[in-house]
Formats: sequence, structure tokens, C-alpha cells
Amino acid sequence: MTFQQIIRRLDDFWAARGCILAQPYDVEVGAGTMTPDTFLRALGPEPWNVAYVQGSRRPNDGRYGENPNRMQKYYQYQVILKPSPDDVQETYLESVASLGIDPVLHDFRFVEDDWEAPTLGASGVGWEVWLDGMEITQFTYFQKAGGMPCDPVSVELTYGIERLAMYMQDVDHYRHLLWNDDINFGELRKEEERQFSTYNFEVADIDMLWQLFRLYEAEAARLVQSDLHLPAYDYVLKCSHVFNLLDARGAVSITERPAMIGRIRNLAGQVAQAHVAMRAALGYPLCHR
Amino acid sequence: MPDLLVEIGVEEIPAPVVLPALEQLRQAVDEGLTARRLEHGPVRVFGTPRRLAVLVTDVAACQPDEVKEVKGPPAAAAFDADGKPTPAALGFAASRGVAMDQLRVVETDKGSFVFATVAERGQPASVVIPALLTDVLNDLSFPKTMRWGDVDTRFCRPVRWLVALLDEEVLEWTYAGLKAGRTTRGHRFLGPGSGDIARPSAYVETLRDLFVIVDHEERENLIAAKAREVAATVNARPRLDPDLLTENNFLVEYPTCVLGSFPERYLALPERVPVTVMEKHQRYFAVEDEHGALLPYFVIVRNGSEAGSDIVRRGNEKVIVPRLEDAEFYLTEDLKTPLPERLETLRRVTYMESLGSLYDKTKRLEAWVSWLNERLPGLSEDERQAALRAAMLSKCDQVTLMVGDGKLAALQGYIGGHYARCAGEPEAVAVALAEQYLPVRQDDPLPATAAGRLLAVADRFDNLCAAFTLGLVPRGTRDPQGLRRQTQGLIAILLEAGYRLDLLSALSFGLAQIPRPDPAPKGALEPTEARDALWEFIASRLQAMLEDEGLSYDTVRSALGSHWTDVVDVIERARALGFLRRSAADFEAQVDTATRPANIWRGTDLPAETVVDPALFADPTEQSLWTVWGVARERIAALKQTAPVDYRAVWETLSQLQQPIAALFDAVMVNAEDMNLRRNRLAMMRELDRLYLELADFREIVQ
Repeated sequence: MTFQQIIRRLDDFWAARGCILAQPYDVEVGAGTMTPDTFLRALGPEPWNVAYVQGSRRPNDGRYGENPNRMQKYYQYQVILKPSPDDVQETYLESVASLGIDPVLHDFRFVEDDWEAPTLGASGVGWEVWLDGMEITQFTYFQKAGGMPCDPVSVELTYGIERLAMYMQDVDHYRHLLWNDDINFGELRKEEERQFSTYNFEVADIDMLWQLFRLYEAEAARLVQSDLHLPAYDYVLKCSHVFNLLDARGAVSITERPAMIGRIRNLAGQVAQAHVAMRAALGYPLCHR
Repeated sequence: MPDLLVEIGVEEIPAPVVLPALEQLRQAVDEGLTARRLEHGPVRVFGTPRRLAVLVTDVAACQPDEVKEVKGPPAAAAFDADGKPTPAALGFAASRGVAMDQLRVVETDKGSFVFATVAERGQPASVVIPALLTDVLNDLSFPKTMRWGDVDTRFCRPVRWLVALLDEEVLEWTYAGLKAGRTTRGHRFLGPGSGDIARPSAYVETLRDLFVIVDHEERENLIAAKAREVAATVNARPRLDPDLLTENNFLVEYPTCVLGSFPERYLALPERVPVTVMEKHQRYFAVEDEHGALLPYFVIVRNGSEAGSDIVRRGNEKVIVPRLEDAEFYLTEDLKTPLPERLETLRRVTYMESLGSLYDKTKRLEAWVSWLNERLPGLSEDERQAALRAAMLSKCDQVTLMVGDGKLAALQGYIGGHYARCAGEPEAVAVALAEQYLPVRQDDPLPATAAGRLLAVADRFDNLCAAFTLGLVPRGTRDPQGLRRQTQGLIAILLEAGYRLDLLSALSFGLAQIPRPDPAPKGALEPTEARDALWEFIASRLQAMLEDEGLSYDTVRSALGSHWTDVVDVIERARALGFLRRSAADFEAQVDTATRPANIWRGTDLPAETVVDPALFADPTEQSLWTVWGVARERIAALKQTAPVDYRAVWETLSQLQQPIAALFDAVMVNAEDMNLRRNRLAMMRELDRLYLELADFREIVQ
């Protein structure tokens, strides 16, 4: 099954179970969790079911396109179900079976792995799902987002699509992964990985990044005070990405790290509070449909 | 009598949580049934990742009827001046369902009250048990709880089904929004998926039909047997690390073992590196030959049948290679910087968030080793030097790539030793680095070299002082730093090496070195508070360890209640007391005598500076006791000069006091009318008590 077929199967599967098929968010994020469709929608009482692919950037993980399974940009297939359904584990396993993986012939395990995103003040309880010893999904019941408890609780399923595809196609380097029947990942993405790894590790202008961090931070703080928390959140995400770039350049000392993470978390918390207040003021429209 | 079965169906419980939860369940159900007057047979528990189950045989079908005396209003309020019952009395009688003429007035310590004799009908077990189960589940403690969906209950993972049967009868019980039934769920993929349990005694076999081996002991044996079986196909044996075996056991319901292999070239890595990669990253058992040499195989414990074993093996083999490749990469990169050159980097790593850097910690460890070197006899100059050098290098591996990979952090120390050796450090230093965290677990070996022991002792003392300064005192099941385990390791090392240290000076020295936390967290302790809390904590560990040896609770309490200052000494003392208690014919008689002075002077306002004045002796028994005391005191002081102290000789010396003490109590009143006489006698009692406290606080002994 090609990379794009996997995405289409998962789309079909989750659309048939009432999920909105959203499109990727257009600001750099480190994970699908950080987009407004997850981080903000997980807050408050309104039901919410969504599935989308999110290109995710982790500058530190770049390997110039040479490492078989590490890239600075990769894709996550993200599903949010709120409130978490009683049979969510069974449904999830059906989704994997729908990709042609017969569970009787494989080894599935739910291995404890509680998740935490310190920059978002978010945390959850759940597992890594192992398929024959390989982690293919992060399965999390959100407990907190933006420092606030989640009530009701959302469940988040994050499929690592490259890993799944490499496994299913039986290839041991991402470059050989078939995107469709005749174009592979290497042809599409290798040069991108090389250039971004070079930029992230060697070329990115540290002084400029520090300036950007301060500018973005100030703008986020200004906007959140002006009842524009959605644009404010874009700037929080930009802060987070710039922080990751600085980190990849080795420009953040170990002692500075917690303080910077705290600054981003503080902004994310303010956005989250503003969002909850806004949904309440609107009368939680998705509760009354 | 009927049997009781309760099964709580849960989404995959974290493997380390299952056994402690089962033990709590067993105890709570056992005690809960007893407290609710339901006689019952033995309580058994069963657990898999997806279920916690309790099976109780022979539960009384009904509580016995009970006759109780119920206290009502005071007599004065119950009857008026004419002796007629007041509304208070009438109300009380009505509420208890008794006639007025059945009320009685009884004199109590707090005055006279009206009482009613009430007969309570015993409730059927099927009514009593559901409420009990709810209480039991609400009281379970987990390291972490969660919520799910819009359910209000908190549990370690979402609860998905409940079974509650009293013989064939389904109990009326709801918990976490679920109604109990008789339907259980089987293995996720094998078999029909769910099935009904006819009666409690059919539980284990019904689940077996559903492809779940629910008895965890049986399942663990099965895993071990199957692991040996697949390893035997290549003439090898699995390394069945007990913790890893338990962890695997609680990751599967229907275990099958599969043998995988990895490229031989990774055997060139230091042995614990591939082993740790296999164990920590993938939960595989490493495989060795008959001489114990590592082989390029591993055993996978799979949750399923034999079907597709080849697919599972190939999948796992693909996962392990990049992991081993990462480890090899770390090793090559790490070796580019000789270990000692990493010392400066430690300045940039914070220790416990607010207690300076790892570099500062290294400096403290060096100071600790010097402090220990000055106080411990019998160390050679080479050993002292090796320990000092090892202290300096002890944390350098913390900034290597290998230890930085969270899953491989268990290689700390070991890998530092390897890197030190590669950097040309003396062998004794490399070994000390590798030994500094031993014992990691209870059954681990202790450090075998003097330098390793000194560093291990220093590191643990410093960790304890740092944690307590921050107020991180372990409570209940909360011990994130593993301080209990570290303390037990510390005590074991001190004991085995015979390191006799003044504990109070050690704690004071250690705490004085810890910087004031900045910012100070909530609950941070001042040095003297931290010292007292640490003393208590170490004593509580000693108590637990000595009870584990088989000494009774009160024997240990009496040893720990005495005047002691050295961990090794107090252990020897407790053991001696345990021996005397078993073997000395006059033990009870001597304890009786020993407690008399304590009972009479403790709690009095005798000034601290009062001393015994023989001129005030008014009775010959006082002088003779005082003389015997003087001899005994000198003898005990002499006995205490040599380590280990001969506590049986101390006991024999103290027994000389028995007769004169009895004689004195027969002849005089200690609490004499004359205040001078009284103070003098109380002061003598205090001296006697102090002498006994050189061995034990006998008041702690429960006869």
C-alpha cells in the first residue's frame, strides 16, 4: 500500500465514523497536537471529532536525508475524538486492520507512555501502540491543555505514517518508500531534508532568530490582550518553532531552556483561557446541534 | 457457602502497576469482608494488562444478626423531674425501634446515659458486597490516575466492564457508570472475544477458553518455559531478568515466545550496551551461551498465538537494528571526547532544578569522599586516591549521548567506567565509576571495591540531603527519586563493609554542603529540619529492613528507640536483642525491671541538671543499687570501646541491676513526700534508664 493510499484509507475510515476531514494547519508545528484543531478544540465541553494529516517539523531530528528513519519534517495522521468513545481502542485497531494488517498474524501491544507537551501546558495518559515491536501510534487521553483540565476528555490518536508505510512496504530506508506507485519519498523529499538540515544546524542566523522570538512573543502577548486569541496563537506557534531552531543551532543553554519553555507555555495558557471564555460567551454552539 | 468473583475490565494497565494494585485489592477485600462481618475463605487475585480480578471462596451468604448497645441522650435530658420520658427519650426509642420500657440508664465515665439494646438483622452478602466493592475501588491507590470520556470516576486507565458474581447470581453493582454482569472479554484477537462466566469457580477455565491465561503466576512460568524452549533451538538460554519477566507478563494475556537475531557485529559493543538496548527499548530477553557469553539472539514475548510468528520475528528484527546502530553511533561519538574533558560541561547541567549544577555536585562528592577517607580505617592510599578521582569523574557520563538517550540512561556508571578505561584512567577508577549506583535493585550485588563503595555511599548521602532540602520526602507510594531504595542500598553497603559512621555528623556535613535552593520550592526544609526528617526516614528504612530479616516489630522499635548513632551498630544491637529474646530465659523478667525506672521518671519535670547525690540516700538499697550501677556503667563503657560491641555481654551486665532495682522498689517510695529525696531518686532512675538505653528502649517491647 502506498503512502497516499494509507492516508486515503484512514480518511475513509474516520470519515465513516463521523470525523471532519480537516486540512493541515499552515503554520510550522512540531506535532499535530499543536494545531488549533487539537489544542484549542480539546478544551471546553463541545463535542469534536476530526482527522487530518499534519506535516510536523522537528529541526533537531534532521539527518541531511541520510538516516533511514529520522527526518526534520515528517507526517502525522491525527485523530481527535471528544468525548472519548467507550470502544475507542477497538475502533482504533479496526482502523489498522483496514490497512490490511491482520491482527492475528501480528503482535499488538499497548505499552504505557504518558505524554506531555511542556510548551503547551498539556499532558495526557496513554500508550505507545506497538506493532511487532515498532511504535506506530501514540494513543492519549488528554487530561490537561493550556494548564486547564479537559472535561470531557478527548482521545488523541497520532499515527506515524512513514513508520507504518515503511513497515507495510517492507523497506528499510524512507527514501525507498513509495508515495504512489511510481514516485518514492527520496525523489520527493531528500533534497528538502538536506537543505533544511543544513539550514537548521549550520546556517540559521542566531541573532535574527532571537529577534524573531522576541517579536513573535510580544505580538502574541499584545493580541491575546486584544481579544484576538486565534491570531495570537499563530504567534505562539511561531515562537515555538523559532525556539526549536535556536535549540538545533545549539544556541539555547541547558539553563535557559526551562525559562524559554515557560515563556511559551505562559502564552499558550493565556490563549487557552481566552478560547474557553470565547466559546462560553458564544454559548458553546457545538453543544446545541 | 457461595464463592465471590469480581473482575474489573480495564484498558491496558501499565505493567508495573498491576501487581501492587492486586495486592491492595486482596487485602482490602479480605479486610472489608471481615469488617462487614462476612466470614470467608481465602482471597485470591488474578491480573492481566486488561483485568484485575478477586476470587473469594466460601463467603457467608448473610451477616450474622447482631445485638448492640446503642447510646442515647444523657439520663438527665431523657426524663423529667417526675421520671417521665421526655421527647428526647421517646424519639431515641422510636428511632431504634424499641419500646420505652426497654430503655436502661447506665453509668459511664462521662455521666449517666440512656441505652437501648438493639437487635440488628444481618444483611445478605449480595446487599453488603456491592457497597464494599465501591469503597475498595475508590480507595485503591495508583501512582497516577486519569479521567476518560465524561465519566467522573478516576482510575489508572479507563474501566470498560465489570463482572460481579456470588455463585450463579449477578450482584447489583454499578461503578464508573458501568453495571456489573457475568460477561467477560477474552483476548483481543484470538477466540470469540467475549464469554459468560457461569460461576466464580469457572473463572480461570472460562478465560482460558477465551485465550487469556488469567493466573499471572501460571502465565509467568509459561513465559519463562517458552523463552527457554525457543532459546534452546540455538543451544542457548535466555537471561530472564526478574523485573523484565514481570513486565512482560503484564504486557500479555496469551504469551508466545519468538526467537529473533541481530547482526553479530553488535556483539563488539560493551556487553551491557546491546543488552540494555534489547531490555529497555524493546523488552526482549537477551540470550547467552552455556558459559554466559552474549549471543546475537533475543526472545520476544508476544501477545498472541504461534500464527504469523515469522512476520512478528522479522518485524522485531527490523526494529532492533536501528536501535543498536544508534547505540554504536553514540559510543563512537562519545569516545571522541576523553571522559575527563567533559567535567567543564557539567557546569551547564542543573542538578535537581535548583541545587546548582552537576559540577557543583561533583565537588560535593569529592568533599564527601575526603570526609569518609578521614573517618574510615583500613583503606589503602591507592583506594583513597581512586575514590577521589572517581568522585571527580563520577558524573561526566551524564553529558554523553549514550546516557542522554533516556532509554539507555540505565547505562549510567557502567558506560562512564568504559569511557574512563578508554581514556586511560586506572582500572580501580573505572570500576568505581561502574559500581557507584549499585545496588540498583534489591538483589543486585553491592560494590565490590573500596573506591566503589566510598563513591556509592557519598552519592547516596548527597542525593538524600539534596532531596530532603527540597522537601521531597517520600510519602506513601510516592517516592519518585527512589529514595527508599537508595537508602536501603546505602545501609546494605555500610553494613557489609563495616563502615561505622556517626550518622548525625554525616547528615550535618552533607546538609551543610547543599546550596540553599533558589528559588526555594514549597515545602523546602531548613538544614536542622532536614536532618531530623532524614534521621526519621533512615530509621524507618532500618525498621523495614530488620523486620524483613524476621525480627519482630517491637524488638526493632526498642533497638531504634535506644541511644544510637551508627547504622551498623544499631543493626547489630537489634539482632542481638532478637537473639536474646529468643534464647534468654530471663528476658521478660529483665524487661519488666528495665521499664520501671523509665516508667517512673519519664514525663516528670526533673530538671536536666539534677545529679544523684549519694549523701541524700536514706535507705541501704539506694547505696547498693548505686554501687552496682557504677560498676555496670564502667563495664558497659568499656564494652562499647570495641566494635562490634558484644551486646550479649552488655545484656549480662545490665542483668546485674535486676535484683538491686527490685530491692529498692520494695524498700522505698521513689516519689517520696520529701522533695529532695524524691528528686534524688528520680535522678537515679534517669541514670538507670540511660544505662539501659545503651542497649534498648525496653518500653517498646510488647510482652
